[in-house]
Amino acid sequence: MRAQRMQRTLLSLVLRLLLLCTVATGKCSGKYHELLLQLQRQADLMQDPSTLLDPYIRLQGLHSPVLQEHCRERPGDFPSEDALWRLSRQDFLQTLNTTLGLILRMLSALQQDLPEAAHQQAEMNVRGFGNNIHCMAQLLRGSSDPKAAEPTQPGPGPTPLPPTPPSSTFQRKLRNCGFLRGYHRFMRTAGQVLRGWGERQGRSRRHSPCRALKRGARRTRPFPEIRRLAPRGQPPR
Amino acid sequence: MALFAVLQTTFLLALLPLRTYQSEVLSEPLPLTPESLNVSINSTKQCLHLQWTVHNPDYHQEFKMVFQIQISRFKASNVIWLENYSTTVKRNQVLHWSWESELPLECAIHFVRMRTMVDDARIPAPRLWSNWSSWEKADAQNSLGDHPLYVFPKDKLVEEGSNVTVCYISRNHQDNISCYLEDVLIYGRQLDQNVWAFEFKNVSFIRKTGTNFYCKGQGDPEGVVLLVSKVLEEPKNFSCETQDLKTLTCTWDPGNDTGLIQLPSYTLFESFSGKKTLCKHRNRCDWQVTQDSQEMYNFTLVAENYFRKRSVSILFNLIHGVHPMAPYSLFPKSVSATNATVTWKVYSIGSSSALLCQLQLLGEGKVIQQHNISVRVNGEYLLSELKPDTEYMARVRCAYADHFWKWSELISQNFTTAEAAPSEAPDVWRDVTFVSGHPTVTLFWKPLSKVHANGKILFYNVVVENLDEPSSLKVLSVPAPANSTKVTLNQSSYQICVTAHNSVGPSPASTVAISGHPGNENVEEGRMNGTEDGFPMSWKPQSRNATGYVVEWCDSPQHLPCVLRWKNLGPTNTDTVISSGAFRPGVRYNFRIYEISTKRMAHLLEKKAGYLKELAPSYNPKVNMSNLTSHSFTLSWKDYPTESQTGFIQGYYVYLKSKTGEKCHRGFEKTFLTDNSVCCKYTIDNPDQKTFVVKDLQPESAYEFLVTPYTSAGEGPLDDFRKVTTPDEYSHILIHIILPMVFFVFVIMIICYLKSQWLKDKCYPDIPDPYKSSVLSLIKFKENPHITIMNVNDCVPDAIEVVNKPEGSKMQFVGTRKSPTETKGTKPAYLDLLPTEKNYSGPGPCICFENFTYNQAASDLGYCGHFPVTPQAPHCQLGPLTSPENLLKTLEQSYMNSLGEIPAGEANLNYVSQLASPMSGDRESPPTNPPEPALCSEYKMQMAIPLGLASPARSENSSLSSTALLDPREHCH
Repeated sequence: MRAQRMQRTLLSLVLRLLLLCTVATGKCSGKYHELLLQLQRQADLMQDPSTLLDPYIRLQGLHSPVLQEHCRERPGDFPSEDALWRLSRQDFLQTLNTTLGLILRMLSALQQDLPEAAHQQAEMNVRGFGNNIHCMAQLLRGSSDPKAAEPTQPGPGPTPLPPTPPSSTFQRKLRNCGFLRGYHRFMRTAGQVLRGWGERQGRSRRHSPCRALKRGARRTRPFPEIRRLAPRGQPPR
Repeated sequence: MALFAVLQTTFLLALLPLRTYQSEVLSEPLPLTPESLNVSINSTKQCLHLQWTVHNPDYHQEFKMVFQIQISRFKASNVIWLENYSTTVKRNQVLHWSWESELPLECAIHFVRMRTMVDDARIPAPRLWSNWSSWEKADAQNSLGDHPLYVFPKDKLVEEGSNVTVCYISRNHQDNISCYLEDVLIYGRQLDQNVWAFEFKNVSFIRKTGTNFYCKGQGDPEGVVLLVSKVLEEPKNFSCETQDLKTLTCTWDPGNDTGLIQLPSYTLFESFSGKKTLCKHRNRCDWQVTQDSQEMYNFTLVAENYFRKRSVSILFNLIHGVHPMAPYSLFPKSVSATNATVTWKVYSIGSSSALLCQLQLLGEGKVIQQHNISVRVNGEYLLSELKPDTEYMARVRCAYADHFWKWSELISQNFTTAEAAPSEAPDVWRDVTFVSGHPTVTLFWKPLSKVHANGKILFYNVVVENLDEPSSLKVLSVPAPANSTKVTLNQSSYQICVTAHNSVGPSPASTVAISGHPGNENVEEGRMNGTEDGFPMSWKPQSRNATGYVVEWCDSPQHLPCVLRWKNLGPTNTDTVISSGAFRPGVRYNFRIYEISTKRMAHLLEKKAGYLKELAPSYNPKVNMSNLTSHSFTLSWKDYPTESQTGFIQGYYVYLKSKTGEKCHRGFEKTFLTDNSVCCKYTIDNPDQKTFVVKDLQPESAYEFLVTPYTSAGEGPLDDFRKVTTPDEYSHILIHIILPMVFFVFVIMIICYLKSQWLKDKCYPDIPDPYKSSVLSLIKFKENPHITIMNVNDCVPDAIEVVNKPEGSKMQFVGTRKSPTETKGTKPAYLDLLPTEKNYSGPGPCICFENFTYNQAASDLGYCGHFPVTPQAPHCQLGPLTSPENLLKTLEQSYMNSLGEIPAGEANLNYVSQLASPMSGDRESPPTNPPEPALCSEYKMQMAIPLGLASPARSENSSLSSTALLDPREHCH
């Protein structure tokens, strides 16, 4: 358990350093696969309930089975899994970005109700994730991804709004608990969608011997090749 | 009585005008009914707030009234509260009154009514209650929604230890509601059809985020959070001070946290100036000193939260609370070997105030000097009486000089004084050994103590001066930290001076003198006992001019090389105690006491040996047993070193155990070992005796023995008994007989082996001597004196035919043991012993030998093998020859046929001797039908015939199968 926590902390530190590096340089990485892998890892990290939900439950005394049963994500707090899978890449990233903004506002409201360390770490994770989403969106736009340019599917539902604060402290506790659970679920789904991007890319490459020949060149020249290959129907998937 | 009636009437008449006057001021009192009674609910505070007016146009002045208020719950008749509220009422005044309910107001409908009564002294009695107002209803449930379950009160803030009532309202009567306080199912009290209440007494703090109470029916749970606060504590250790007479800093200990997110507030109030400030910290507050020279301050600190207010006060004199800031820039300057000047600075307080600074000098962590100096801005002080090359610490603190209250924080600075020349000569001793008559001196010196070294010793100078040749001077420089050097001298007298040098200069010299000849070493060694303090020893001076004495020893004599130690003593000392941390119990230490002459020459006075504490021997000697007889054996342990034992060996114990349990022999005494076994012990009280003869033993008996030394502390370990068994009394005699016999037999066997051929020839030759044949006895038995045996030796053969390939079946028993098939078709080989004529073809006299002396097959089976019978003789038949009689008959017939007159006899012996051929011509009665041509004698080896090779049938020429053709000229006859 301690080792897992240590690994998680180290991973978080690495991701933070990556984020800081990106922020400090003010540039996005042009390496699609690195960026995608980083997004997947960040999503994996943020979907872990031990980073936010569990500390909240402990601090608020919501660990009884009765209350756990009602610590549920409310419909509409976050886009559903089906909706996320239906989205185009650009829309997916846009939805992620919007939802992360909501999460940041909620985290700010929960500052007093969360352990300080967990709150700070979660906030930095969300900001880092958002930064990488921004970079990915920029990368996809630059690649003229036909898939990215696909007509947007019907949206994942109403634009997420911050949940209305309930009247009593008790209801607010349950409401926040459900929100945090939804947050972790959402990040898990986002991670799956991002992994789906990588798998689809892998599959499409495997089935195309022609692309296999071009892979070597892509490795040596990271970003421009994505652009060049994209018109030939090679968007990074 | 009449008088009384008159007085009463008079009194009433007098009162009448007074009553009339009153009626003019206050008319007849009428009951005043409260008007406009309004009841409102404050859910946060769980209060019912009443508001009403009293309207009476007759009264224009204030007057006291009493309002009696009734509160009912659920129904008007259920009065739960009755209270009289007294107040002064003005005309048309709106009155207020609040009541806090222990039950959340949302859980029950409340009814309120009141009545009034004038309670003013100016109003004449009787004072009557007004009529009750109508019941006013307070119903908080109206504002609730249509949720099936409600729990109240919401977000109640309570103090730890107080009582709280929680209730729920269930709209669904069929619903089964369960309520929990922090996961524990609890049961409440039903107040109404759909209202239940739960009373919690003496609630305790659980967490900052509150205690959860929730109920659950079929839908989502509904609950409340009780925010429990710990009791606010009174601030402790409240005090104020100033560092610069400009700002006051008050500090306190706030005590335990109340546990709520909302922290209590702290306010500092000064009563003389009437100022107050809200403190930014929960344990400290700053107060700006005004410029109006206020010296006294009366501070009150107020701590306040939702439930309580705590305060604490102090009266503070500004001058008496000055705590200066720590000085700064402390530096040593002009540091010499014995002096140093230190300087520092202070923060000024006011324009003309001075500070009292304390300068401390610390050496090795202890304060060795302390000085008080009055300082305004810069401090300086000269420290003296310092030691060279010593590290010191100077530290300074200051206090307000006008009124000492508290020292400032300390600041410190380390410095080291300069070096000086060593102040004392090194302590030198020598060890002299003579190699080939030349003294080799090893000089030892102890490193100078820090006190005397006055710096880092860099090297030692050793000056060797030959006293016999004053011009001869030898100087050695030994770099530190070496503490010895070796000098080889000749047989002169020398004086050696040793000095220690540091960066400043040399130390005084230490001198020793060496004689070129060995001194008197034959001094008897004395013994002594150590004590806890060491080895006390004393000696007798030999000369009156001794300048001192030296005792030398080795710290660890059991380990080589010896770590030489010595102790210098003055000339007046004749005793001392040698102590060392290296001394160990059970180790023998040897001390040598020298007397130092005026010429610094050392003469050995005494030798002493001793143990700090004697121990029992740690091991036993290795005992060699010899001379074992049936009655005694000898033990010896000559290799046992007594000098290196853990105590002075006083003697030895010889333990003897007998398995037969016999009595102890003379000189032995019975003793019991640790395992309760009985043993005989003999005491040898001479440590130099290292042999012992154990006598008077029983033959063929087993004994165990052990030899162990003993010291004053005890004997050695009793755990290694050796076994010995005495031999039989006669065993040595037997040994003396048996051994030679065995040797003799062995020699005989060797001789027999070496002479086996000779013995064989003598005892059982391969070719038997015909003269010794039993056949001869048969012949003799027939008493035929004419029968003789040819002596082969008389023959001179001229040729021998060796038939190695007998032809056909005739060869099967001759010469070789090959089968007939193997020999078939081969021709005989001839060996000419003598020269023969190749063309010889004529027949000549020839003797043929055939030795059929023994036929094993015939002997065993009665089978007839090969007999030298004539061809005409009937062939051996199996039947007649199977019995010894038949064999005998056959023999008889054969020999009778061949020899004519061989008497029959020895019928059971199947032995046929070699016979001369009857064709030799010298026979008196030649056999009938002699073999033809029988011109030569035939000799065949006698041999044992394997059964398988015996052939019952023979061919006619079988008798010629193997022949030795002799030259006729050499033919014996």
